[in-house]
Amino acid sequence: MKPKVAFFDFACCEGCQLQIANLEEEILGVVALVDLVEFREVLTGHAPEYDITFIEGSITRPEDEERLKDIRKRSKILIAFGACATTGGVNKIKNLRNLETVRKEVYQDDWNKPHLNTAPTKAVDEVVKVDYYLHGCPINRNEFLSVVKDLAMGKVPRIPDYPVCVECKLRENECLYDLGKTCLGPIARAGCAAICPSNKSGCEACRGTVPNPNKNAMHEVLAKRNLTVEAIIQEFTMFAVNPEVSK
Amino acid sequence: MDFMQISKKDFQKFVENLIQSKEEVVGVVKKGKHFAYDILEKSEQLCLDYTETILPPKKYFLPVEETLLKYKTGVASSYEATYGKSPKVIIGIHPGDMAAIALLDKSFSEGEKDSHYLNKRANSTLIGIYPTQSFPHRFSNSMIEKDAYKAADCFLVDLGNDYGIEVVTEKGKKIASAMKAVAGEKGLNEKIAQAKAKIKDEVSMPFSRRELSEFLHNKETHAEWKKRAEKCFSCGSCVLVCPTCYCFDVKDTVALSLQEGERKRMWDGCMLEKFANVAGNHNFRKLAGDRLKHRIFRKGKYIIDKFGMAGCVGCGRCSQACVANIASPVDIVQELKK
Repeated sequence: MKPKVAFFDFACCEGCQLQIANLEEEILGVVALVDLVEFREVLTGHAPEYDITFIEGSITRPEDEERLKDIRKRSKILIAFGACATTGGVNKIKNLRNLETVRKEVYQDDWNKPHLNTAPTKAVDEVVKVDYYLHGCPINRNEFLSVVKDLAMGKVPRIPDYPVCVECKLRENECLYDLGKTCLGPIARAGCAAICPSNKSGCEACRGTVPNPNKNAMHEVLAKRNLTVEAIIQEFTMFAVNPEVSK
Repeated sequence: MDFMQISKKDFQKFVENLIQSKEEVVGVVKKGKHFAYDILEKSEQLCLDYTETILPPKKYFLPVEETLLKYKTGVASSYEATYGKSPKVIIGIHPGDMAAIALLDKSFSEGEKDSHYLNKRANSTLIGIYPTQSFPHRFSNSMIEKDAYKAADCFLVDLGNDYGIEVVTEKGKKIASAMKAVAGEKGLNEKIAQAKAKIKDEVSMPFSRRELSEFLHNKETHAEWKKRAEKCFSCGSCVLVCPTCYCFDVKDTVALSLQEGERKRMWDGCMLEKFANVAGNHNFRKLAGDRLKHRIFRKGKYIIDKFGMAGCVGCGRCSQACVANIASPVDIVQELKK
């Protein structure tokens, strides 16, 4: 029996699901391997229960927490899918400010209407138990395929637990620090083939950090490049990496 | 060892002819503000007047990632080894990197021979060159002694308009004659010796290789490891750029059909936190300080004790690659001495 697979989205751009729709020829291999039973972006249909559920997006409203908990109850394996789901992603930037200010800024005169209600952003694992993580903004298609294959074979999926510096070195990139730039590569979780540094753009840690990031050392390195505390915090907060530094 | 010479112009002609003969020729080229080994498409790309490459030339014998074998899932007898190709000639290897290749040759020949490495290695002719530019943190002259000549087929030495050639092996003789290099004029070996000594080491290790091994004895619990660990990212950069590191991970990748798969190996590094993670989630080098110590012991003690060869060839790449600026073996040894 092929495993029943579902995709759901919460607060996000749905770009990670689009990566699956964009698998092109390989999508045929995927549907041969699994039974796609619910995936609003590409097909109609519902199912009562799922073997593997992918959750895209962060959780930003109380009613979304209830919906997520219901999905969790009906899922054997639940995977946080993409940066918004795994870390809270860019949506978490709002948590650094007063919620009312944020709402007024975005919705102007309508800010207080009930359907525009919002709460502090949570990553999926702040609401329900998450079995596996597929990081990234967006996710890496090859990593998705390898997780699907692993689960289909009954293996525990392995995702990189080493930093982006590793992938940069393997691609023989010039280190951005040697080019006078800054980069969170030394503490950021790899798996993206160092795509941003490879294109001369500093890593912003969209995959979160490695398990034990040396943030103090990162502060020190960034401060040596004449970054102010504010600039350091900014460097860390794009993808909700707690800078653990006080102003 | 024979001494020969060739004009730089004729050398370039030789490289051009080699490229035209459809053989894969690798040399040092410019990469942005840095340098890297790459396949040459025309002889003008070759840049022998370089500081140091980002990665060492070992990548042609121990690729960043390579397929070792292919198999059908569920059929134990179905596996078949696959062998990648290596360049016919690699041009421009500094003595430190050459000594590192000699160490890899030794390591991959010990016990069960590593045919994937050795097949590629046998296919290539290695043309070395003595550095013409200084490079921060380099201390190769004092560390490599004779090891470089165990791997090199010949060495070039920049003499201005000409290259002096030290011919080391039969392969080296063959390539020197293909270059139409001529026998050295009188006094060539003195000229070569002078030119070699022109580029001085940027830093120096206060010990010989043997002395370093003895010095490190009993330094396992020195406070310096813990102190340095506070600044370490465990990012692996120091070991991933190292010419003498040969650790790898092995991973099976199965096709979407789940019917066939490939076994691949890829570079790994002992400075990464999960490198020493084993079954049961036990990590026998859990702390960054333990890993820092391990790296220096491996470079300065274990390898010399086991093979009698340099575990560190003083290329300076680790110090250059370390964003936290804590990787220099010379700095570390100086601190341990205090």
